[in-house]
Amino acid sequence: MRPSALVLWLLVLSGAVGLAQSDRGHVQLRDLSGRVIAPFTPSGAASVVFFVATDCPVSNSYAPEIRRVCRDYGPRGVECSLIYEDLDTHPSAAPLDQQVRTHLREYGYLGFTAVVDRDRVAATRAKASITPQAFVIDRSGEIRYRGRIDNLYAALGTTRQQVTSHDLREALDAVLAGGKVPRPETEALGCFITDPALLRKHDHE
Amino acid sequence: MSRRRLLFLALACAVVLTPLIGQSQSSRTPSARRAAPDARITFAETIAPIVYANCVTCHRPGEAAPFPLISYEDVARRGTLIAKVTESRYMPPWHAEPGFGEFVGERRLTDAQIATIAAWVTQGMPRGDETRMPKLPEFPADGWRLGQPDLILEMPIAFDVPASGPDVFRNFVIPTKLAEDKWVRGIEFRPIARKVVHHALFAQVPGGSRANVDGVDGRPGFGGLSAVGFMDRTDPGLGGWVPGAQPTMFTEGIVSRLPKGSDFLLQVHFHPSGKREFEKSLIGIYFAENGGQKDLASVLLPAVFGLGAGIDIPPGEKQFTIKDSFTLPGDAKVYNALAHAHYLAKQMKAEATLPDGSTRPLLWIRDWDFNWQDGYSYKNPFILPKGTRIDVTLTYDNSSDNPRNPSSPPRRAIFGEQSLDEMGTIGFEVEIVNKAEVDAFHAALASRNKMATDTASKNGTLGRLLARGLRRNMQQLTVFDRQGNVVTRLGEVGSYSQAAFSPDGSRIAVVKNDPDTDGRDIWTFDIATGKSTAITSDAPPDSAPIWSPDGTQIAYVSDREKTNAIYRRAANGSGAEELVYTHTSGAQIILTDWSADGRFLCFWAGETMFVLPLAGERKPIELGRERGGRFSPDVRLLAFNSNQSGPFQVYVKDLAESTRQPTPGGPAVQSTQVSNGPSVGGIFWRRDGKELFYLSIQGGQGMMAVDVLGEAPFRTGEPKLLFKLPTPVLAPAQLSNVSSPDGQRFVFAVNVAARKPAQ
Repeated sequence: MRPSALVLWLLVLSGAVGLAQSDRGHVQLRDLSGRVIAPFTPSGAASVVFFVATDCPVSNSYAPEIRRVCRDYGPRGVECSLIYEDLDTHPSAAPLDQQVRTHLREYGYLGFTAVVDRDRVAATRAKASITPQAFVIDRSGEIRYRGRIDNLYAALGTTRQQVTSHDLREALDAVLAGGKVPRPETEALGCFITDPALLRKHDHE
Repeated sequence: MSRRRLLFLALACAVVLTPLIGQSQSSRTPSARRAAPDARITFAETIAPIVYANCVTCHRPGEAAPFPLISYEDVARRGTLIAKVTESRYMPPWHAEPGFGEFVGERRLTDAQIATIAAWVTQGMPRGDETRMPKLPEFPADGWRLGQPDLILEMPIAFDVPASGPDVFRNFVIPTKLAEDKWVRGIEFRPIARKVVHHALFAQVPGGSRANVDGVDGRPGFGGLSAVGFMDRTDPGLGGWVPGAQPTMFTEGIVSRLPKGSDFLLQVHFHPSGKREFEKSLIGIYFAENGGQKDLASVLLPAVFGLGAGIDIPPGEKQFTIKDSFTLPGDAKVYNALAHAHYLAKQMKAEATLPDGSTRPLLWIRDWDFNWQDGYSYKNPFILPKGTRIDVTLTYDNSSDNPRNPSSPPRRAIFGEQSLDEMGTIGFEVEIVNKAEVDAFHAALASRNKMATDTASKNGTLGRLLARGLRRNMQQLTVFDRQGNVVTRLGEVGSYSQAAFSPDGSRIAVVKNDPDTDGRDIWTFDIATGKSTAITSDAPPDSAPIWSPDGTQIAYVSDREKTNAIYRRAANGSGAEELVYTHTSGAQIILTDWSADGRFLCFWAGETMFVLPLAGERKPIELGRERGGRFSPDVRLLAFNSNQSGPFQVYVKDLAESTRQPTPGGPAVQSTQVSNGPSVGGIFWRRDGKELFYLSIQGGQGMMAVDVLGEAPFRTGEPKLLFKLPTPVLAPAQLSNVSSPDGQRFVFAVNVAARKPAQ
């Protein structure tokens, strides 16, 4: 997508908060504390962006491995951020920011940079469709890996007894070593990211 | 070869499921793929009825499923996912193929329903006219769904389920404290941490019989797949639980015995969710008036979970097949089917050929999933006449293409109880219809079991299992100093437990297992010379050697004719044994001390600790829910383990006050906590009463020492770790004299490194 088209598209779709298109073409988001962040523009060696959801069991089951990856690669200059699916479709539920804060605490994510992907703008930009789905972005801002964290899931409902392919770690190792990522794109298994606009559309039928 | 050695195999019992609430939708939803393009599929009119009838039992708040599927938003948000998992038939979870038996509580969508869901998603998930929504099924409020149970059991301590890692199989021992035998007609299971409890199996075992493994690793219960049920069992089991199953009474007329003093064994399969959880299940048990009139039998094909079926699967083998047949020696009414195997099994199929040549499909699991061990109750139990042949075929995939393969790269898998081993059976719970055929029926089943054992003996399966068991359980008596340095090792490597110093510190008494006969006898070892002496050498298993205060006698527990009793005999092995006391509650007794003045023994049985005066009529005095009692050298105090306020801790209380007849409403006996963390017995008073030892279980077993600062009131210093044991010892709660009288030497039967298996 050309930058000008993206800007136009964003103006149409995005709400007051969320994505802004900086003049360098970076995705900027506002995290839970109100800070503006650019997870797709690493300030260090690389960054990893995880698309997650508070209520997806596959995404939740990966919380410990996500923490381990960030712990292992943090010292090597890799920044981690969590992008939570916008699932504020229940008027009765607690505000989503609050749900996410609870989730961060319960799943050991305290200290992580976390944002809510209002109107799915980050997911659209990154072509993320699943939670959990991982992205590795190199120093130049190029997405070098998009896909599963590892091959624990052989299918939905079928987990391997042993993980035999640590795809995200392999991608990070390759990027940090300045090499080629062996498999830059893998199929992530988990829950589908839903377009909240689709649900809203039917509200007024 | 002892049969008892074989009784370790998991028995997945039949889970009885009730029909799901709601009506079948199969008649009103035509295949959307074949429907005209303008046909409107809406949530309100088409999708909600399917979801309400098949999904909301679990997909509602407070239930096992991870998200609710009640409102339009709930379902539409997960629309793509629902289309995908219904298409793959991962959801709703049901593993029996249609056409092979009709079962109670089938959770299965028709092809047409699946196509309708897919079409709805493709069409943008229209909401429709919500005034035409079906009513949400009514679910009973929280509480016991089968009514107030006759007996409520609760896990004594919550189990801490880790956030991540492999699935956890944990067995919890819950004393029933039944004063008489009961008959069970139904069980309702209420897990707390529903997001992580994947399934549960129930069994009963003799009271206290799992005390040697319960809590050994410092957490409630014990690990492993193999604890529930026994393969030579002939009575119907106690069943199990899977998410989504509504609690129900057993099939009418089927009851199961729960003997007096027995322990309820709960095996729970936990599936870590990414978040730490705590589980403290409740079990409601419903009793029947009597034992029922039906003659029931469990028919397993192959027998003994495949022990003699030659299960030896080479790595890479994609289609390893075993077959078994059984011709019914009498008319049998079939109620339930169950299937059990480990991770490599793929297909499990059973079919009956009747004497007239006609066939009847019984069960077909096309893609076996260890995680969904449903039992299958036939909707209409049916009679298979005498002479009917049942054929079972099981196939296994030990290639790397099988994502469930626990080994990467694949390894040879032989029959066994470990998760890397395999087994397999399809079982049927049947009623033997004609009284005249009952004996022949049971004889035929017994002969099948014997044939399986004989075959396993001939083809080396038993030898391999036995050799592996030995390698796993080898210990050596090892004496340590206060820093944990090894001072000496005694005797040969073997199978030992419950090592105890003599009161003068010169000898060690220990329980020695003979793996060939499964016999257990008491032996002594002289520390200076290493000479060993058998104190008992009888058939009944003996345990808990306790030295008399003068070192001339040893008391021990012996398991005879299903009661257990305390005996004593001379510590040099000479002379006859003397019966000291017989315990009649049915619970296994564990003897832990003989007081320095020679007047009292201390033991526990089930969950209750007793002091037994040796004078007079030897009537035990009940002390309460405690264990591992140890008298102070002046016999004024009693140190013991109790878990009344959380994990087991060491306490000390006044002996005279504790053994006095309690006055109703009188003050409770005060006890002083000695330990500062979870502990499991191994309590020992130094002879001068100035120091107390115990085993802590924080980060492995550790020998702790506490200074006794005063007796009235009783005061102690801060517990100090002397040393960590190199490997956890078996049955730590049953230890007695872990130390020499001066508190300078400690003895344990510690594991020696397992040797490489000889393949």
